Amino acid sequence: MQKVGIVGYYQVKLYSDANYGRYEMIFEASRGALDKAGLKKKDISTVISCTNDYYDGRTISNCFTVEVGGGYMADESKVEMDGAHAVLYGLMRVLSGNHNLAVVWGGSMPSCYPYHTVRLYETDPTWERSLAYVNDITSAGFQMRAYMEKYGVTAEEIAKVAVKNKKNAAKNPLALKEAQLANLTIKDVLDSGTYADPVTELMVAPPCDGVAALLLAPEKQALKITDKPVWITGVGYNQDPYYLGDRDLSGCKSMNLAAKMAYGGAGITDPYSEIDVAELFESYAHEELIFAEELGFADKGKGAEINSVINGDLAINPSGGALGGNPPCATGLIRVIEAVKQLTGEAGQYQVKGAKRAVASGQIGMCAQNNILYVLEGN
Amino acid sequence: MIILIIIKNEIIMSEEKVIVANKGLVRADFAFWVGQYLDKFYDGLENKKIRGNKCSKCGDVFVPPRKICGKCNVVIPLEENWVDLPETGTIMNFTTTPYRVNDRSSRKTKDWTIGMIQIDGSNTSIIYRLLNMEPEDVKIGMKVKIEWNENTKGDPSDIKGFTKV
Amino acid sequence: MGRQVAIASAGFSEHASKRSDVSMPELVSEAIEDCLKNAPSVELGDIDAFVNGNMPAFEGSNIPELWMTDWMGARNKPLLRVTTGGTTGGTVAISGYYTVAAGLPGVDTVLAVAFEQQSQGDTSVGLASVAYGEISILNTLGIPYDQISRLLSAGAAIGVAAYQATTYMNKTKIKEEDLARVVVQNRRNAAKTWWAHLKMPNLTIEEVLDTPYVQYPLRYGMVCPASDGVCAMLFTTEEKAKNMCDIPVYVNGVASVANESAVLGYDGSGSAQVDPSMQLGAIRSSELAYKQAGISFPRKEIDYAEVYAPFPNQQLLWTEKLGLFEEGTAPAMHEAGVTDFNGELPVNCSGGVNATNAIGASAMERPAEAALQIMGKASNQVPKTVHTAIGSGWGGSLNLITLMAMSDQPKRQWR
Repeated sequence: MQKVGIVGYYQVKLYSDANYGRYEMIFEASRGALDKAGLKKKDISTVISCTNDYYDGRTISNCFTVEVGGGYMADESKVEMDGAHAVLYGLMRVLSGNHNLAVVWGGSMPSCYPYHTVRLYETDPTWERSLAYVNDITSAGFQMRAYMEKYGVTAEEIAKVAVKNKKNAAKNPLALKEAQLANLTIKDVLDSGTYADPVTELMVAPPCDGVAALLLAPEKQALKITDKPVWITGVGYNQDPYYLGDRDLSGCKSMNLAAKMAYGGAGITDPYSEIDVAELFESYAHEELIFAEELGFADKGKGAEINSVINGDLAINPSGGALGGNPPCATGLIRVIEAVKQLTGEAGQYQVKGAKRAVASGQIGMCAQNNILYVLEGN
Repeated sequence: MIILIIIKNEIIMSEEKVIVANKGLVRADFAFWVGQYLDKFYDGLENKKIRGNKCSKCGDVFVPPRKICGKCNVVIPLEENWVDLPETGTIMNFTTTPYRVNDRSSRKTKDWTIGMIQIDGSNTSIIYRLLNMEPEDVKIGMKVKIEWNENTKGDPSDIKGFTKV
Repeated sequence: MGRQVAIASAGFSEHASKRSDVSMPELVSEAIEDCLKNAPSVELGDIDAFVNGNMPAFEGSNIPELWMTDWMGARNKPLLRVTTGGTTGGTVAISGYYTVAAGLPGVDTVLAVAFEQQSQGDTSVGLASVAYGEISILNTLGIPYDQISRLLSAGAAIGVAAYQATTYMNKTKIKEEDLARVVVQNRRNAAKTWWAHLKMPNLTIEEVLDTPYVQYPLRYGMVCPASDGVCAMLFTTEEKAKNMCDIPVYVNGVASVANESAVLGYDGSGSAQVDPSMQLGAIRSSELAYKQAGISFPRKEIDYAEVYAPFPNQQLLWTEKLGLFEEGTAPAMHEAGVTDFNGELPVNCSGGVNATNAIGASAMERPAEAALQIMGKASNQVPKTVHTAIGSGWGGSLNLITLMAMSDQPKRQWR
């Protein structure tokens, strides 16, 4: 695969109820990314946005965001999944040779819509939806229980992930304030109230307002724009069947296959030793463990044994991950940005020392039905 | 299904003071075609019967029935491979939650327990309430059976939930 | 660099105002079956990746590609969802192209599916929801909602298109009869297209004009229907396409350049796009796509065009904006028969969007039909040999465009 570099990025600070409108947020992110790279509007070749009509409460959610996203009179399109999937489409456009600089932005404002209700609209309307027994809340409970039952993983081990990520978020100035919990304990997490047993409230990535943007450029141009481009060396994406009963919820086959595709492209054969840091979109604490196993960082059921703190053996979510704030349509894009920051040495207080190769993931759908994984390398 | 859209406009000046607020409701009704396979299934439910269909290639039995077997990528013909299934099943998974979600809002109230139940003879799970069971007593692998609604209408609510066998 | 991409097949489901016999996933699987029927050497298992899109407001289902995974044959395959409102079909087709052009390892053959089952929802509510946010700001200035929606008519609904029609009519001095003539041509063509919706082989101009106005100058008889239907296209590499079909259709140019939203602007702040018939995005898209495709004289080099025209004025407008005819000359060309079935540059012989509009699918049906004309497999196949064709899409708040330029030769070149 020819080299495409991430040459700029910007993430707005996450708020549970941001005191500004969506257009300002989008402009701040898109303009911020261009400014960071020292580029201008006229340098933009293509723009891929990521919004969701149901989250925005309007259909064709991209048509009014054209100007603020930088897409005016640019070849633009929109992906309706996670922001990380929008990065894929931007990547494809650059790889095709038709485009050079691509702006990819995505985000939404859950403060403006009833989150769980809108997630309910993802369900099968001809069978499951009217009773609403399957929704994003109950599916979390099913997934965690399946994982614990199969491998004997304890709630404490899972709560430990939440503790780690919330503490990491406290070091990340852009994370959601309510998620920045530097003194959180395992007991706090277990006692935080039932969400969907055995999932507790603090194990759940909190939806919040946010937008992020990043810039992609082909190799030659990337090297002109910055001396620290981060190369995308592999990408994989995959979608599981829809019905929860059709899947083995103790694992995540789509993540496994996405990883195979990405590792194949990047030439990775021993992920645990070759990868220095992982930024994974974990909707719940237990998903981080499931994903770590599917990514080959540990055997099945042994994800909790990985030393995944910031300067541990393989740092996972040093930024706090989605547990540090989940702005739908931006979360996976932010994971990519956070991985980029690790590789350019710009991660401040949560920098993993000497990080050279990273993975970043995004997801969409109940129990992570569709996953996308990037392998990224510093210059 | 109704989409509730509240159009609320506030012009905020230097102190947070609502100058104009405009609330309204836009009604958007949806009616979903279930297709002929589910149509037969719902006819079955109305008669308190569970009918699934079977993929002739891999032998998987689907409840509710499907046109396409996802594993094999083959069409299961509409008039063939129907399977009558019992009212009993096994709990494959369960969760207890205080949350209720509907097409307008979500709220927290009393706990209820939802199970993923595999009907005996089928290869997938259906998701319904577990009735007359304390959450502590629910175990994966437990045998359960359907409790039907008195008056069936040919829709998913005909199954009230599952109780212990 | 990228690689040549070919279309190996295209397929449709039957379109109707109510496809009540099927659920949405089943409707989608019909078009996929038809698409693969036209490429008999390809099985669902041979598809490396999928792209999917619709306009989700119409069915009350968010990200429905998740639900319909198995019906598409996409279980544990790569899948991307692209949606852009009225141009969705076109952007899904374009992303199908890009997925192949990107050359990701193991991704050579891509199935792109665009669909809509509008009968499940309320089309006018779905369309109006494009700009509720913008309209509501005008409420605060004391203008009641229904007055706004009649005056400005936000979104891709008839209202804003009516402005586009009046500005175009003002420039070209055409009359309503000219609009009705386009409608008659479309609906008679649709009668020969197996999957089309409004099949009216004997429609006359008088019958079209004898209907009440929806909004001047557009009458009920002139506007597109709301249809349920699906379109699927198979994209693959140059090498593989040769084994899949007799005449692979090469995608030589793609563009989707956006303008700012028309008239209303965002947040009701107004827009510099005050003349919606200018369509700078279409002009720029055709510049980009034709340059990629090596087309210097579109009027001469393009043999066939499917342009996205739910309203008849747009068929005339797009043929100008997309460089097929000089500004203001499309009505004369149309009247002279240049765009007829056996004309020099046939346009919309499938009946176009005016006869069939499943909104999520219709912008894909344009390049799909154009590709089929090149392959010689279209339902209403024109008598002349088609080497080069275009398919366009339009939507948004009059600001989104898609364009795909195709030919039977791989012409895409990179410097």
